[in-house]
Amino acid sequence: MINIENLSVRFDNAEVLQSINLDIPEGTWSCLVGPNGAGKTTLLRTMLGMQPYSGSIKYNGREIAKNKSLNIAFVPQRPSIPAAMSVAEYVMLGRAKLDGWGKESAHSRNIVHEMLEATQLLGMQSQSVNTLSGGEMQRVLIARALVQEPEVMLLDEPTSALDLHHQIAVLNKVEEIKATGVTIISTMHDITLGAMYAERIIIMQSGRVLLDGESQSVIHSPELRSAFDDRISVHLLENGRPVIIAAKRAAGLDQGVI
Amino acid sequence: MKKNQIDRVWRWQITASAAVALLIACLLGVGFGPVNLNFGSIIKTLLGLPNGLENEDRTLLLELRLPRVVLGALVGAALATSGAVYQSVFRNPLADPYLLGAASGAGLGATIAITNGGGDLHALLPIFAFLGGVLAVAATFLVAGRLFADPSTLLLAGIAVGSFATAFQTYLQQRNSAALRPVYSWILGELTVANWDVVKWAGFYILIALFVLIRISKVLDALMLSDEEAYSLGVSPQKIRLIAVAAATLATATAVSASGLIGFVGIVVPHLVRGLTKRATNRSLLSIAFVGAAFLVIADLGARTLLSPAELPIGVITAFVGAPFFLFVLRARNRGSQ
Repeated sequence: MINIENLSVRFDNAEVLQSINLDIPEGTWSCLVGPNGAGKTTLLRTMLGMQPYSGSIKYNGREIAKNKSLNIAFVPQRPSIPAAMSVAEYVMLGRAKLDGWGKESAHSRNIVHEMLEATQLLGMQSQSVNTLSGGEMQRVLIARALVQEPEVMLLDEPTSALDLHHQIAVLNKVEEIKATGVTIISTMHDITLGAMYAERIIIMQSGRVLLDGESQSVIHSPELRSAFDDRISVHLLENGRPVIIAAKRAAGLDQGVI
Repeated sequence: MKKNQIDRVWRWQITASAAVALLIACLLGVGFGPVNLNFGSIIKTLLGLPNGLENEDRTLLLELRLPRVVLGALVGAALATSGAVYQSVFRNPLADPYLLGAASGAGLGATIAITNGGGDLHALLPIFAFLGGVLAVAATFLVAGRLFADPSTLLLAGIAVGSFATAFQTYLQQRNSAALRPVYSWILGELTVANWDVVKWAGFYILIALFVLIRISKVLDALMLSDEEAYSLGVSPQKIRLIAVAAATLATATAVSASGLIGFVGIVVPHLVRGLTKRATNRSLLSIAFVGAAFLVIADLGARTLLSPAELPIGVITAFVGAPFFLFVLRARNRGSQ
């Protein structure tokens, strides 16, 4: 269980996170949604211990900043891998926290093999990363995080650079990871996609949590539209599944069936 | 490779091969010249065995060729290793101590030491060169705006800072005509006047810097990840970055102050080793140091023998070999990514 209490983060004189309170149960998927600058990525970085903060972030009762043994993996939005690095080399770095830097035990090479297989990357391990497509690269980033055998996995916009086919493939993979007991916290721009996979949606705006709750209740909440300044419209598919799209006010779109 | 395991990222045999290459280069370096020495006799002399070299040949080996080869190896190792480290730290395959202004800054520092000091400056030179190098790198990043400026901004800032340092260095030289000769002899490369004193002070600083860089080489791989990933693996990238840049700048500054401006080693050697091994990891750093050392020893051998009895500046040889090689690497890389 992750308990965030009265969390605030300041950059210079600006308060980029303001009095955040969240309780995130183990083995669940929470999705942070909000416009650019809402503080989603800052919240993830603070949970990694990169940002000085006031308030508290506890994992199973222990403050995250003081708990060096806690294994939190991070999947970045954009890779910053040197072009000449091979897939296996990059994924292997994920074992550094468990094995020590520069070590590559037989067990670790097994795990890397296993995770490359699980992310359909086997056979590409010797390829340099600059030869990969967007979807393959995203799977490489996830494989790197997976070999870390994390308790918590933070994903920053895991689908932003992908086409729909690869978005679904990546999110299905994350769902499988969650099923193994890993707590997932992701940021996403696409609330519809977020609600399809995460059981919990947290809407952020200007460093605050505006809405927080079970995905379906957040999506159907009347406050959702005001959270997006009435610039979205919610539509229901025939199967009852909601679709949220940017609203064009002049068109007079409103909630309805499409 | 076992069926359910990935291949090892790094093998000690690669490092061992690089060490053997260095030994062979050193043997060629001390053996060949206007007077060729017998390899068997060289080895016997170095190991203190009977029937080694005698008289002039012994002096030629121990007092002229050996210090020169050792200095060349130290400088080559320093330039190649710091080049590789700069490339990792700045996530820029073109980053090189010279491009970021460290060498020009070190040159200016060394010139200030020569023009304002008297007597034996060899002990003070590296300190001045180091301060000059550090200040120039700091100025480059200040001009570029931030630590992870895009590569072109960073390189342009480095060129501007380097040009300023070189201009200031030229001004100081012109104002102190008595210092012109020592400054120019230093710029053209002091491998020609290498002696055990130079080897001692340069070796002291370079070996400290290399020791630090090789010690942190495994953790340096964390700098190839995003800062968030590095943190998630328990590493503070800022701390590692600072130690790495400081040690690489000390190595570069000492190399420049000992041997003048020798270009391309910092780019060619890391690319050669990483290209041949198909690995980007910094665990290659020790191999890069060995190959850099071997490269400069062989380049110096060329400088001494190609126009014998005249000598070519060693920087001319490294550029002759380095520039086409670099273009070849760039072309191969472009093809690979198409």
